[in-house]
Amino acid sequence: MRIRQPRALACASLSLVFTAAAATTVCGGLISRAQAQVKAVNPTPATNRVLRIGAIPDQKPEKLNRLYGLLSNELSRQLGFKVRYVPVTDYAAAVTAFRTGDLDLVWFGGLTGVQARLQKPGARVLAQRDIDVQFHSVFIANARSGLKPVLNVKGLSQLKGKRFTFGSESSTSGRLMPQVFLAKAGVKLTDFSGGAPGFSGSHDATIALVQSGAYDAGAVNEQVWKSSLHDRKVDRSKVIAIWRTPGYPDYHWIAQGDLDTRFGKGTTDRITAALVSLRRTNPSQAPILELFGAQQFVPAKADQYATIEKVGREIGKIR
Amino acid sequence: MISPLRPAPPLLLLLPAMALVPVLVALPFLVHGGGWDLIAQFLLAALHPSLDPLVLGSALSGLGVTVAIALLGWALSLALGLGAGLLSSRTLWATAWGLRWPAELIRRLLALPRSIHELLWGLLLLQLLGLQPAVAVLAIALPFGALVARVVADQLDALPGARLEALRAAGAPAGPALLTALGPALLPGVISYGGYRLECALRSATLLGVFGLGGLGTDLRLTLQSLQFNELWSGLWLLLATMLVLEGLVRLLRRRWCLPNRFGAGASGVGRRGREIAFLILLLLPLLLLQARAIGVDPMVLLHWNPLPNWGTSLRPAEVLALPWASLVGQTLGLTLLAAALAVGLAPLLLLLVAPWPWGRVLLQLVWALGRLWPPPLTALLLLFALKPGLVTAALALGFHNLGILGRLLLEAAEAAPEGAEQALAVAGTGPRLALLHGRYSALARSYLAYGAYRSDVILRETVVVGLVGAAGLGTALLEALSSFAWDQLLALMAVYALLTLVGEDLSDRARRRLLRCP
Repeated sequence: MRIRQPRALACASLSLVFTAAAATTVCGGLISRAQAQVKAVNPTPATNRVLRIGAIPDQKPEKLNRLYGLLSNELSRQLGFKVRYVPVTDYAAAVTAFRTGDLDLVWFGGLTGVQARLQKPGARVLAQRDIDVQFHSVFIANARSGLKPVLNVKGLSQLKGKRFTFGSESSTSGRLMPQVFLAKAGVKLTDFSGGAPGFSGSHDATIALVQSGAYDAGAVNEQVWKSSLHDRKVDRSKVIAIWRTPGYPDYHWIAQGDLDTRFGKGTTDRITAALVSLRRTNPSQAPILELFGAQQFVPAKADQYATIEKVGREIGKIR
Repeated sequence: MISPLRPAPPLLLLLPAMALVPVLVALPFLVHGGGWDLIAQFLLAALHPSLDPLVLGSALSGLGVTVAIALLGWALSLALGLGAGLLSSRTLWATAWGLRWPAELIRRLLALPRSIHELLWGLLLLQLLGLQPAVAVLAIALPFGALVARVVADQLDALPGARLEALRAAGAPAGPALLTALGPALLPGVISYGGYRLECALRSATLLGVFGLGGLGTDLRLTLQSLQFNELWSGLWLLLATMLVLEGLVRLLRRRWCLPNRFGAGASGVGRRGREIAFLILLLLPLLLLQARAIGVDPMVLLHWNPLPNWGTSLRPAEVLALPWASLVGQTLGLTLLAAALAVGLAPLLLLLVAPWPWGRVLLQLVWALGRLWPPPLTALLLLFALKPGLVTAALALGFHNLGILGRLLLEAAEAAPEGAEQALAVAGTGPRLALLHGRYSALARSYLAYGAYRSDVILRETVVVGLVGAAGLGTALLEALSSFAWDQLLALMAVYALLTLVGEDLSDRARRRLLRCP
């Protein structure tokens, strides 16, 4: 080992430490989005109230950021207080953030919504899209997989031995309901190639992975599938739809039970009214509904999701 | 004692690489090749990272958060570790209070936080504290602190006691005697280990991000899942640069301060330039405070605990017992052994293979750096483009990551070893590979394998992070239990994990002691 090193080296090493330290501090100061993601706002003082909205990350983050950015502005304009979108990275984290009070109003799926309400008594179901009353999943397949479109649920048995991916573990349209229909066709999760299904994380990811051939088949949310077809994001020569499930209730808005005490009397009803009043004919509201893939929002009730709760319990995702 | 069955050191070194045989046999059945296009796109994108200012800005701010989490978690773990380490030192208790058992008790208690991977700490704390930056910092600080404590206590108790006894006999009070006799001797080892922990903290902070706890890891996972490889590479290159600068800096300071390297087999230096070290530590404090402010770490959140939801209704012992425990544990152990053997065996093998070509080693170093850098779950997701899910795929991902870590340590140790034997062999006409193997590696074989034994223990804890791949034992079951909010299953799985790690730690300790004791 060298005992004595030139003094210059010492200076160089120390100045490197300084530079690295300064750089990280500056980077730390630049944080905006990433910080918003983890940073929670503690119980807000009455003078500076912010309604924090969130959503399960079911699609590409760019799309979510655009969608909820527009929605936050619109709600903020109608309600008269600040509305901020706080992104989260997975479905379970959205549920947890709602329970710990880090999110005030969340766009949940059927299953995550039930999980959230069970974990946070007093939470209120506000509204859903017109399409959520009877929502559908679509089973898709890679064109080279040899899988063919089928007419009824029994046809799903052809998926045995194939490489299959769900979306998120807690997705209603990308996992829960598809798993229910697979069970009706006699397909168990261990029947897939490799002994287990994949969990791609989101519907966009499922489409991309099946289209590429990384998986033979997958299950996706019909609205995301349709909008990908519409935007020509899907190469129809590589990926095809093989079956559309019967309808079931899905996505909905859930709010904390204490919004009226924190934001003023009647706030919860005003939020519902604001959501339900969005119209395609209004130029500033049309892009929001367009991105949601809906004509409009309609009021929703908790008991609509009783069936989801039932199958969720059967599969063990709700306890 | 010479046993006819004991393999010669050079052979011993290459023995773990035998794990390649079953993997190579299994591989043709695992490859589905459906996503070769995607893998090609991914590799090509390395040459064209996105230079969009928005993407770069987001990656930079993510990197800032990751670095801040790593630094804060690391500093806190050192503070906790030093305190807990002193408290679990037999020498200290015996000198100060004439007792030994409290040290043993604290040592045992500290095994628990250590046995749980930082990711699990993170996911648990997330449930209790909510979406807070402090969660990631604590998730690193708690298990790392317990690890540091163990090293501190072990080093303290292994120091020769003559000086301490002399001071005590001369009538010095316990406190000053301990400080004077053991302090200076303890410091070099602890500071060197601290530098190594900082590198680990950066990797852990990235991994925590992959699971949504903030920072660049989050971007990496989202860009990979939406197949935006050019944007993925912007983040990866930035992270690589940061990691290499950090590693270089730690190595530079270690050499400059004449501190022992990580293998710990050689004689440890005395340590120099105490004033410089003290100055740097003082400099670090305001920096840490600034960073804590920048990412919004608020110690007050520790006072707001959220109870676990529907705790009472979710207790179903029958369902917990019905989990396929035997196969879960079996898969976890298989995964650990396979990944460990691949990582330990491949590092010397690859270095030998590329020995004749100087650029081969540079290329290998780059690939290893990427291996260290990529959180294993990302590698696993990438492998799924071409391989079926399952144990071997998970083992490859874990093995690749640890190969990056082991390979670098082996290379550093080999460079620090004397050149004489290798040169003598080379001059005598031995080929470059054999000269390297017999001249250099055989002397390192035991200490390398001893480190490998320690690493297997780390890999056992790490198996939880590749649960994403599916069919990967306890890790997969754990992530599923977490998304179902099944607390009873979660706790049972964590308890089994902790138990396995404790047994594994004990076994790997014994193996290491044997390897280091033998001639």
